[in-house]
Amino acid sequence: MTLRWNLIPLLAILVLPFFHLFALPARASSTLLDTPFEQIREQARGTRVQWYMYGGWAHVNAWVDTWVAREMKQRYDIEVKRVPMDAGVFVNKLLNEKAAGKSTGTIDLLWINGENFKNAKQAGLLFGPFAGHLPNVQQYVDPDSITHDFGFPVEGFEAPYGRAQFVFEYDTARMDTPPQTVAALKQWIMDHPGRFTYPQPPDFTGSAFIRHILYAVTGGHEQYMAGWDPDLYEKNAPLLWDWLNQVQPFLWQKGRTYPRDSALLDTLFARGEVDLGMSYHPPHAQNMIIEGSYPDTVRTFVLTDGSIFNTHFTAIPFNAPNKAGAMVLADFLVSVDAQVSKFKPENWGDFTVLDLERLNPSDRQRFEAVELGPATLTPDQLAKTAVPEIPAPYLEALERDWKTHVLDK
Amino acid sequence: MSWTSNPQHHPLGLILKLSPLMLPFGVLFCGGVFLTVCQSLGIFTPLPHAGGILDAYAAILSDPSFFASFGFSLGVALVSAAGSVAAGTFLAYRVWKLPKTLAGAALVYKIPLILPHIAVAFVVLVFWSRSGILASLAFHLGLIQSMQDFPNVLYSGWGVGMVLAYTLKGTPFAMLLILALLVRFDIRQIQTAAMLGASRSRIFFAIVLPRLAPALHTSFIILFLYSFGAFDIPYILSESRPGMLSLHVFDLYFRHDLARRPEAMAILTVMFCFAVLFIIAYAKTVTRLENGVRKL
Repeated sequence: MTLRWNLIPLLAILVLPFFHLFALPARASSTLLDTPFEQIREQARGTRVQWYMYGGWAHVNAWVDTWVAREMKQRYDIEVKRVPMDAGVFVNKLLNEKAAGKSTGTIDLLWINGENFKNAKQAGLLFGPFAGHLPNVQQYVDPDSITHDFGFPVEGFEAPYGRAQFVFEYDTARMDTPPQTVAALKQWIMDHPGRFTYPQPPDFTGSAFIRHILYAVTGGHEQYMAGWDPDLYEKNAPLLWDWLNQVQPFLWQKGRTYPRDSALLDTLFARGEVDLGMSYHPPHAQNMIIEGSYPDTVRTFVLTDGSIFNTHFTAIPFNAPNKAGAMVLADFLVSVDAQVSKFKPENWGDFTVLDLERLNPSDRQRFEAVELGPATLTPDQLAKTAVPEIPAPYLEALERDWKTHVLDK
Repeated sequence: MSWTSNPQHHPLGLILKLSPLMLPFGVLFCGGVFLTVCQSLGIFTPLPHAGGILDAYAAILSDPSFFASFGFSLGVALVSAAGSVAAGTFLAYRVWKLPKTLAGAALVYKIPLILPHIAVAFVVLVFWSRSGILASLAFHLGLIQSMQDFPNVLYSGWGVGMVLAYTLKGTPFAMLLILALLVRFDIRQIQTAAMLGASRSRIFFAIVLPRLAPALHTSFIILFLYSFGAFDIPYILSESRPGMLSLHVFDLYFRHDLARRPEAMAILTVMFCFAVLFIIAYAKTVTRLENGVRKL
């Protein structure tokens, strides 16, 4: 008996950590959003900002660690500490912190978009709305261009940071003219067994690749823009699965296996095991050439059926210890100086979110003067085929069903 | 019940004394399992769970690929654990029989023990891929006509790459446990057997091996359950189909919609229950076998 009674404190210890789940949700510190931005800058002076971001690109890391960190220190006396972490992982970290009732976390700023933003916002992990409070967003960004992120309303809970568009890569030394349409791509894959593959969804790049095919084989992107329509999905998705299953036997390793992520596809392309690469970042090939990973004969192209673009953002967690500093950094990243520096291919080559019409002529000139390098398509070339991202529920359904309908078939 | 009245052995005191061990175990391990089970049932999930309490289990159990992955993970774990224990036993026995002067040099066996699993995965990748070291060696020796003729070890569909990596990592672990028993082994038993005319293999199987049984069982269970559930080696070396369960959980947890969290947790719960059942069944079988031996 005694033994059994003594188990009760033990059980209490087990269950206790979960009680905070019933605690009240954290309140946004609205006072900061009423403070004039000059005062926020003063408040943030001498502090440190922990910026959690995807860490898989050495050149982007270097740009943040050197240029951004230096400028932030000089201009605002703020120390920027970059922490590499995948978006899915820090969203989970924040979920755990919220569940544990941790009101002061470790993350000040996030680099985020798409379904991760949707997940974070739905779960109440974000502070805001703060984007409208940033002077550079007010001055230079077209508000209509940042209302939605993968079809999910932004409502000021993230600030724009850069623009990306999907491109394919080929090596002119190995291939004269790459396929120009999705139909031609299919023919090319079947004519060249084993020379093509795509990263396995839910990888970011592989998932974007199959969305291109979806748009192309179901008659364009417009029909999906109104938001999630299960009937439309049920009707159209089988066309995509058919396309992917028809090419599967002609893929690398006969389609029995897929690269787990885009980095592995890059390696296969660099080693010559496949003939086409792909990236959601227009300057990716140029970056790889500068890095020495790709030969300098590599060029990029887009399919005329459309190439998907998106905007990526920064956001502030609900429990960020230094929200003021995070806002100053988010604002600085949207400044003309930072956007120009980021646009240079030797730094990163990421496209700007600023509306060039809103800039004064000399600032506009600074963007036009940037030499993108021979492997990167110009913003004009890209704009011709640009189509918007699909709303997140479609993306999640496609990533879920790809496994059932393609991989496990 | 007399022991409860003895102040020295009061269970509360006992629990207090054990608390440095029990607290982390209770809060972290049991807490983790508790939360995992809850989330698999749709309780305490990050997003409100819409469906019924067993929806996640229904979803994973109705998916034939779950069973394919489960079977494949079992197979990889079984082959690599059995291989590690067999190789570890053989090598440990040889190392133990080495003359003293060479015993120091034999310590190199501990190197893969220090390497992290992920590093071993890369070692296997660098050696065994078609553009890897062995392919290039075979090509330069004229054994194959082109690098592409090298056997497709890593993408054979049988998880050979993972088995190689786990065996490389598991063998020295088994050796460590087995050597610990061997150093306490009385060499005179072997000498006696040899004098009585036992053959070498008979000595090994009839005298040495039964003494090593506890280490063999322990290392087998640890290696088997580890490679059944571990994530790092599959992340580098697994193929997409059939995928290892751990990768499936990773994708569900980190890369898919939060609404699918219960499915990830349901798979983890099933894996955990399997591990517990496996240990119980294994221990029972071993006891029965040993009793049978003793009766003879």
